Amino acid sequence: MKALIVGAGKLGGKLASQLSGGDTLVTVMDSDPEVLERIADHLDVMIVRGSGMHVETLKELNIEEYDLVIAVTESDETNMVICSIAKKLGCKKSIARVRNPEYSTQNELIRAIMDIDYIVNPELATANEINRNLLYHYSLYSGDFAEGRIMMLHFNASSLPGFVGKRIKEIKNINGILIGIIWRNGEIIIPRGEDYIMEDDVLYVIGKKDNINQLAKTCKTLVQIKYIKKVMVLGGGRIGYYLAEKLISQGISVKLIEHDKERCEYLSENLNDTLVICGDGTDINLLNDEDISSMDAFVGVTGYDEENLLMTLMAKQLGVKKVIAKVSKSSYVQVIEKLGVDIAVSPIDITASDILKYIRGGRAASVSLLLGGKAEVTEVIAEKDMWFVEKPISELALPKGIIIGAVDHKGKVIIPTGNTVIYPGDRFVILSSAIRQKALEEFFRSF
Amino acid sequence: MNYGIVIKTLGKILVLEAVMMIFPSAVSLLYNQHDKVAFAITITVTGLIGILLSRFPAKTNTIKIREGLTIVTFAWILASFFGALPFFLSRSVDSFVDAFFESVSGLTTTGATVIDNVEVLPQGILFWRSFTHWFGGMGILVLMVSILPALGVGGFQVFKAESTGPITDKIVPRIKDTAKILYTIYLSITVLGTVLLIIGGMSLFDALVYTFGSVGTGGFSTKNLSVGAYNSVYIDIVISLLMLVSGVNFSLYYLLRKKKWREVLGDSELRFYLGVVGTSVLLIAMNIFRNVYGSIWEALRYSLFQVSSIITTTGYATANFDEWPTFSKVILFLLMFIGGCAGSTAGGMKSVRVLVLLKMIKREIMKIFHPRAVISVKLGQRALSKDTLDGISSFFALHMFLFVLGTLLISLDGFDLITSSSAAAATLGNIGPGFAAVGPIHTFSKFSHFSKILMSILMLLGRLELFTVIALFSSKFWREDI
Repeated sequence: MKALIVGAGKLGGKLASQLSGGDTLVTVMDSDPEVLERIADHLDVMIVRGSGMHVETLKELNIEEYDLVIAVTESDETNMVICSIAKKLGCKKSIARVRNPEYSTQNELIRAIMDIDYIVNPELATANEINRNLLYHYSLYSGDFAEGRIMMLHFNASSLPGFVGKRIKEIKNINGILIGIIWRNGEIIIPRGEDYIMEDDVLYVIGKKDNINQLAKTCKTLVQIKYIKKVMVLGGGRIGYYLAEKLISQGISVKLIEHDKERCEYLSENLNDTLVICGDGTDINLLNDEDISSMDAFVGVTGYDEENLLMTLMAKQLGVKKVIAKVSKSSYVQVIEKLGVDIAVSPIDITASDILKYIRGGRAASVSLLLGGKAEVTEVIAEKDMWFVEKPISELALPKGIIIGAVDHKGKVIIPTGNTVIYPGDRFVILSSAIRQKALEEFFRSF
Repeated sequence: MNYGIVIKTLGKILVLEAVMMIFPSAVSLLYNQHDKVAFAITITVTGLIGILLSRFPAKTNTIKIREGLTIVTFAWILASFFGALPFFLSRSVDSFVDAFFESVSGLTTTGATVIDNVEVLPQGILFWRSFTHWFGGMGILVLMVSILPALGVGGFQVFKAESTGPITDKIVPRIKDTAKILYTIYLSITVLGTVLLIIGGMSLFDALVYTFGSVGTGGFSTKNLSVGAYNSVYIDIVISLLMLVSGVNFSLYYLLRKKKWREVLGDSELRFYLGVVGTSVLLIAMNIFRNVYGSIWEALRYSLFQVSSIITTTGYATANFDEWPTFSKVILFLLMFIGGCAGSTAGGMKSVRVLVLLKMIKREIMKIFHPRAVISVKLGQRALSKDTLDGISSFFALHMFLFVLGTLLISLDGFDLITSSSAAAATLGNIGPGFAAVGPIHTFSKFSHFSKILMSILMLLGRLELFTVIALFSSKFWREDI
């Protein structure tokens, strides 16, 4: 597949790296030669300097040979125009990033008029993700699959009794669950039975919901929260806006803290039932006045990763049970787990997952990127004509770095062994390390 | 610095070189000459060392800029070293320094030789000399990138360091595919050239040798008189065109295949290059007409061949241009510095750099009259960044500095100024013959070992475009803390 990415910012770079790791031929276009240079130094992609709205430039690239254009420049309007032009010139599919809330209600119409196949709104997607996390009972939630029957959590290995220092096959009481991914010193390991579990590992555990719940109960540090009723949101940007809107519609009370006066007025005008507080969110007195310690959850979604991380940590210290921080820079992912923030959501990763899911088409029911894109979790619904159905897994010769985490067969969750057979209609979850991107794509292509 | 991956990759290069040596050894077996032993030994040694090194454990496979530069420079030094073994072992040359000089000259497509009588050399050796032009021209590492998988992103670092010109762009997203396309184009021109020369009456062996020499813009020959030995108008013209075609940026041929005529014809470097060729051919033809040659056609024929040969830095000769009038010689001398286009197999400073320098001079003059004017230096429609312009100016300065330094050191051997300076220019620009005592009918055998080693270094510097090699010899490069 050939893909053109216009806009070499954070999202553009992430997509280029995620796509070029596989079999996709990626071209990245931007008007800033310096950003392009940096991308070319780290990724095997072609760089083109120019504007994606310039017809000549697109023609020179032979845009009609491309399967996909992804417009992720800073401006919504530019992105829409790029998609429109590229489609007219013969590009097969187009994806635009459109983030202005004023457009979000009329996406369908815009898509139709501008001939855009898919619109991604990172802020909206992030708000949805945070919302889903908030509704969940556990603080270390990673995802759920097969309509909630399969669940994935992550733990610090040391917080689970009887795990550290053992081989995976020696660990008792883990029936019905699978340790799918180990995150050790910044490296992804897809473990086998012989692998040891070390002290500082973070374990991503997948399995049947009940079994995961049972495991969670043994965990020393995990806090259970039954219902979330009061949420404090720090930062009234687009994510804060979408999130408040979502939470209120579910009957949760929201305190939104934003320092910009004008923005506050806009927010209070447009968000009903939200308590908008104008002030510096890093001011501890202000937070105490607003009774931060009585909150069920605290969410940091300002434009600064550092502020989000530090303030959520502080909220945790003040006794808030569940804290979520928005972190855009993937370089921070390595340390977040150790800091104690329950969940860090990255708009870049979420958006990239969205786009990857769209590209993989109907085959993938969901794609999520973990750990800044170093690992991927893909849920697939097996169909009759797929090559791997009705065969024992041991005969599939799955490449290294790919593992089938759990299979949902007619509502019954199975942790697969070599003899497990996937039947049409089953849902199953594939865990894979991003370095093995190519293998994963091959797995998908041969559908 | 990730030494593991550097050593591993260097090992792969040696294995590749050993594989390339199978071709000349097949030739020597075919002719059943004494050099087959030399090849057998070299292939075994090179192959074994290569395999050993390529097994070297590497922690990660990442090739960053530092690793890229180290790989490229050492790959060329090692390839030259092992490539010299056949010359030395077959006793085609007297000393290992001579063998090394000959090998570097071949790989860097210089074509300067230390062998006074090439006509007595065995066929295998002759083939190897010219064959090194062929893959050295497009690049050993580019060849490796195109056929071996798994250099990944690092491939681009290596590719950038080895290919010529101030700006390196990919023509397709994957570096492997880019390298493959370039080699396919190269191979097609080679096949075409060989067929055309066979039609002109050459034997298959000679046709191959001269095609390798022309498309690699090298200049090694099977005859002491170079192409002049054939004295055929047809062969002169075919080789002239082959050289000119190989001096053009190869990515333009890819555009041609994509039927993008307008972009090819509008390419400012191509226009400049052809303009320089055209003007030089006419000026020299007018100068040598009546002075040396009786008819204007003859003057044009020799002028075209010599201009093509020098600007593309090939170094073939059909006439002893050292006896031409001074005006013609000076033009040829200047062409040595201009060189072919970026992204071609030719050496020299590259037309695009000269063109940009001229534009920068024009800008400076404009600025005298309009001190506050903002004038961007453009190549086609594309304005060049300050970094690129700075790079080009310092490249020019360094090239000139090395030329002067080279001349100075070579002059220790006691030859006249023209010999010393043209020897420095001809090796630094990867041309081959110069003037006076290194003119087209002479060789480089007369120089001392010191000068030969110096010139080998100049050739490597010229081929890898100075900075790749120079960076490696700066103390900063090896410090881990910066």
